[in-house]
Amino acid sequence: MDITEAQEAGRAVAVLDGRLDTATAAMTEAKLTEMLKQGGLIADLSGVRYVSSAGLRVLLKAAKQAKEGQVPFAVVGLQPPVREVFEISGFDKIIPAFGTRAEAAAA
Amino acid sequence: MSPFRLRLPPTLDSVTALQEALDSWSEEAGLPMPVAMRLALVAEEVAANVANHATGASYFEFGATLQAEGVRLSLTDDGPDYDPLAHTAPDTAAPLEERDPGGLGIHLVRTMTRDAVYAREGGLNRLTCTLPLGG
Repeated sequence: MDITEAQEAGRAVAVLDGRLDTATAAMTEAKLTEMLKQGGLIADLSGVRYVSSAGLRVLLKAAKQAKEGQVPFAVVGLQPPVREVFEISGFDKIIPAFGTRAEAAAA
Repeated sequence: MSPFRLRLPPTLDSVTALQEALDSWSEEAGLPMPVAMRLALVAEEVAANVANHATGASYFEFGATLQAEGVRLSLTDDGPDYDPLAHTAPDTAAPLEERDPGGLGIHLVRTMTRDAVYAREGGLNRLTCTLPLGG
């Protein structure tokens, strides 16, 4: 898992590339937690083709942290296998998802 | 295609090792990408479950056999009696504040596979299920 930082219309973006799973959950969680302390965050998952329950836990924690801090958190670029896991888990109802970073930043 | 079988110590490193070995097997078996993804996911969830919960197990063994109706999967470990299917499914309609991350892994396994059965046999935990090839 590689995570790079970007900006979209003044909003911080975490660009994730790789598997979000048991092996990468801890480092991903640390990075998202740190970035969310600075304000709202968009997690760009275009480069993620695999998310397991360990990865879902990371995104759930990020969404809860954002809610507590009253800052926006959204995901963008869900690939079909990731979308399937989101839908089975009901995450499509609790984490705002957009097609592009621009749409997420404007929401 | 010969069946996949791998026995590993119940650690989180083993979960990664299992996935890597299974990816090669899936490719050799020519599994369609969505099926290979679900297979990797189901394997991770059941193996991580043993690594995280089965204190006292000295190994887990994951098996996958390609059959006409799907990939027949089995996960065996020598830990204490533990039925992962006994947990109630998480409430996937609950709002964010009430969502608890527990149970999501087994929920994914139950949803993606058919005929999931747990049995305690000869001092071993044995979980079997079938991953459909279509859909």
